[in-house]
Amino acid sequence: MNKQKVWYITGASKGFGLSLVKQLLNAGELVAATSRNTNELIAAVGNTSDNFLPLQVDLGSEDSVNSSIQSTIQKFNRIDVVINNAGYGIGGSIEELTDTETRGNFEVNVFGLLNVIRLVMPQLRAQKSGHIINIASIAGIAGGIGWSIYAATKFAVVGLTEVLALDVKEFGINVTVVAPGAFRTSFLTPESLIMAKDQIEDYTAIRESHNKFLKMDGHQSGDPEKAAEAIINITKLENPPLHLLLGSDAYNRAMDKLDLLEKEFLANEELSKSMAYQG
Amino acid sequence: MSTQQKVWFVTGASKGLGLSLVKQLLNGGYKVAATTRNATDLTKAVGTNQNFLPLTVDLASEASVSDAIEKTVAKFGRIDVVVNNAGYGQIGGLEEVSDQEARANFEVNVFGSLNVIRMVLPHLREQRSGHIFNVSSIGGFTGMFPGFGVYCATKFAVQGFTESLSVEVKPFGIHATIVSPGYFRTNFLESDSLSVPKNQIEAYQAVRDSQTAHQNSINGNQPGDPEKGVAAIIKIAETENPPLHLFLGADAYAVAQQKVAAVSNELETWKELTTSTGF
Repeated sequence: MNKQKVWYITGASKGFGLSLVKQLLNAGELVAATSRNTNELIAAVGNTSDNFLPLQVDLGSEDSVNSSIQSTIQKFNRIDVVINNAGYGIGGSIEELTDTETRGNFEVNVFGLLNVIRLVMPQLRAQKSGHIINIASIAGIAGGIGWSIYAATKFAVVGLTEVLALDVKEFGINVTVVAPGAFRTSFLTPESLIMAKDQIEDYTAIRESHNKFLKMDGHQSGDPEKAAEAIINITKLENPPLHLLLGSDAYNRAMDKLDLLEKEFLANEELSKSMAYQG
Repeated sequence: MSTQQKVWFVTGASKGLGLSLVKQLLNGGYKVAATTRNATDLTKAVGTNQNFLPLTVDLASEASVSDAIEKTVAKFGRIDVVVNNAGYGQIGGLEEVSDQEARANFEVNVFGSLNVIRMVLPHLREQRSGHIFNVSSIGGFTGMFPGFGVYCATKFAVQGFTESLSVEVKPFGIHATIVSPGYFRTNFLESDSLSVPKNQIEAYQAVRDSQTAHQNSINGNQPGDPEKGVAAIIKIAETENPPLHLFLGADAYAVAQQKVAAVSNELETWKELTTSTGF
């Protein structure tokens, strides 16, 4: 690595965030990392070097996010890579998940991420450089049974990232959305995954699917260390991808979705194309 | 057309596709409950008809939505087709759109539709039938619209939860369809409909260019005829196996195909990295 980069990573006390922070510090990079609880974060990272800035942040609050970004700039002078990694999963049907549970998931997965982007952009524009990496999910590309709201939040992340890439291109800023499949992180443990409190008996297919899913905990095919490595690798490229899927499972699910779309395009082509005013 | 009069519940009915839909449905002999923020305007636009139930509804309020659905069931005995059509566009770079502006767009485009779905599903499940149309946008399928980051995020979210919804409610004989219109000649791009950020930052040239193009050259020249758009929705509601994804307009169709091709291409380009993350 030719030059130390400054990283700003949210949701760093576990999962991909933690793997990234550790690998980056080992490589001598400068890392500001946010968590709801810095004590947990410091204990998890186990690195007290001056290259590490742990930050206690409530991502739903613009003030809190802004103060963390200003602290990062004050300490490291710049921000090169922003990784919006914080997020959690919520399971249940749309009918079962309350308005409050639903909004809670958007609070972190979408509005928190928007707060970071809104407040870090002045710095990246001033530098005329930077790379924003938003961690979505394969559920942000293909929705599945029992994860409607989680899928909605992650689809939202994919959508806003696609547009952001066009909007900030003129400033020399790169943008990537990462869509991981199943990785052996703490994602499927109760501290990361919330299930609908009011469950409706009728939704047997969801319960079966969730039970199968939860049994996967500890057996997920993806290695989080390799995922972190892949994410670090794309920041070294001159032309990084806009979409980066991680995991063969993610790849296969995306291909299935594309196949379905091709079929649906053909099935309704005539109807789709017959919308214009008569000339 | 079926001989049995179907009962439709349509949101955002005072203008645009919603208004055209309500009028065509009433002309076709259907029973229609339609919501808007101000039912007086709606009655003025539609006229009175015994098959028509205009409802003043605040979609962001579960209580208000629930009340509207109960009134519909009380008057017509059932609900067969739900069209979540209410929504508006928000333009601006992600840095420009304030937290408040972003949340307001999600309030209507996402949380409002989710309130309707949550509150109507008990009836549809009991009937073991029904069809939910969620009106997204071609901007909910591809983010190739500079300056529409927050709007695209809301419409991507709609696609995500509808994909999940379709499998969640399939066991109950309920269908779900995402409608993705291209440019239709409605009031969508008029100044009283399209929201612009209060805080505009001069540096965002690509965003401003897109904003100007939409407000000036695209507005009033949209190729799509709203009457044909809503006729397509009515037609799809009468088919036995409706599509999950329905694109409306040759423009939407072409852009959707381009997106699929681009993602396919990207998946192949990065396949090695994508599939290198397993244990």
